[in-house]
Amino acid sequence: MEGTCTAEALVSTKPISFLGGVDPADGKIIEKNHDLCGTCIKDKVLVFPHGHGSTVGSYVIYSLAKKGLAPAAIINQTADPVVVVGAIIANIPMIDQIDIKQIKTGDTVEVDGYKGVARISKQKENRSACT
Amino acid sequence: MYLTQEEERVCDGESGWANETCMKILVRLGELFGADKLIPIASAHVSGVSYKTLGDAPIEFLRALADDDARVKVRTTLNPQSLDSQYLMKRLPKHLLEPQLDILKQFEKMGLTQSLTCTPYYLQKPKRGSHHAWAESSAVVYANSVLGAWTNREGGPSALAAAIIGKTPDYGVHKMENRQPNVTVNVETTLRNETELGALGILLGKTLGNRIPAIQGLPKTSKDDLKQVCAALGTTGMANMFHVNTRPKSKGIEKISVDRQQIKHTIGELSTASTSKPDLVFLGCPHCSLNEVKRIAQLVEGKRVRTGTEFWVCTSCHVRQMAGDHVKRIQRAGGHVLDGVCTVVSWTEELGIKRIMTNSAKTAYYAPTLNKAEPLLAPLQDCLKAALQG
Repeated sequence: MEGTCTAEALVSTKPISFLGGVDPADGKIIEKNHDLCGTCIKDKVLVFPHGHGSTVGSYVIYSLAKKGLAPAAIINQTADPVVVVGAIIANIPMIDQIDIKQIKTGDTVEVDGYKGVARISKQKENRSACT
Repeated sequence: MYLTQEEERVCDGESGWANETCMKILVRLGELFGADKLIPIASAHVSGVSYKTLGDAPIEFLRALADDDARVKVRTTLNPQSLDSQYLMKRLPKHLLEPQLDILKQFEKMGLTQSLTCTPYYLQKPKRGSHHAWAESSAVVYANSVLGAWTNREGGPSALAAAIIGKTPDYGVHKMENRQPNVTVNVETTLRNETELGALGILLGKTLGNRIPAIQGLPKTSKDDLKQVCAALGTTGMANMFHVNTRPKSKGIEKISVDRQQIKHTIGELSTASTSKPDLVFLGCPHCSLNEVKRIAQLVEGKRVRTGTEFWVCTSCHVRQMAGDHVKRIQRAGGHVLDGVCTVVSWTEELGIKRIMTNSAKTAYYAPTLNKAEPLLAPLQDCLKAALQG
């Protein structure tokens, strides 16, 4: 998806359903048993395998953007139409087909939505302790 | 992606902002998924209708489209809203009603039918092999897997964009080669009811990502019960379809098996209420078919819903009208047949409902976050036992 940005990565190993999985009031992940439960996605490069579940998720992404609570960019292993359409209408740079295992939470990541590439510009210190 | 001259003109804004926006949504979506063109669709089904799940911001998006004269070019149905016009409307505060009516007004202006159901296929069955742009994950999986109609799992806004343009990008399950099973699932236990079938869907959705399973070993299963597999698979997964009891043609594809322990574990994980006394017993996720309403009516005949327990059967207005006498029987027993709404997208928390018992794995999955309620997942007979006296 068009657009570029550089921000801190927030990485999940689990799929995300934006409806029911993210609280549109504060941008926090609320799905129980999720590895990011309780974490806010605002202004992060949100990295997760793929979306799942409700097709209303696109509108949740749009609402988050309107309230300034959306992620700065989205990186997926496999794109899902619900997340893609949310990113389109919310103007969030998004790329897919990325080996997300290489990115760790806390890394600084550059996302180029035009070229479909991501670059880790700065690794978080003590990276091994933070996955 | 190849666009016709006419499509390019729409993309350049010659038909106005709304059409340009919708065309751009479709083109960007198509480009990301490698579509080479847009194809005409026979119908669209739009999600994002309930004020509870939609919220305020997207209403302005809908209003901007409607005010700029966006109009649907194909028959387009709507998902359920957050309340029904008879029972819940009287029990909920006015500030929840007005935005909901506003949402419906915008959709009406754009020419969408006020079907208000997650089962649009009961209103008009799509033809085998016809192309559609449906949101509502349960209906997408049902269309592809049970009815043989072809649709990707659209996001709410892309289904609306497709409706307004009358086309959808040609990728995913619109192409025959992408409809073949690429993983075999051997169910090594007899699934005894709709709740166990739903648990299978939840489990497969979590495991398979976007792979299409060929499910082997299901007993003879009615379309109503397969609907539970569809809804659950659409909840935890991103797959658009499954095959039942057909052997994959290609050899050497991965095989996985599902045993009783996994089904029991999945139901246990979803059914977290600490007591067996529900505030609400809910049937109709996805919306009940005429047969399901009839069956429930027969089972509650002459019985009485417990005092202090709500008993809801949700369906479309269309099915409710066809089910006249059955609806009356359920009402005589003290139950409510609600049309155009469902528990997941309605304001149960505001009604003081803290424990929801249901036969639907999809509802049980969403209840803790969307309803802030503890779910109890059990088959129809057990749900009725909890709802009825004696």
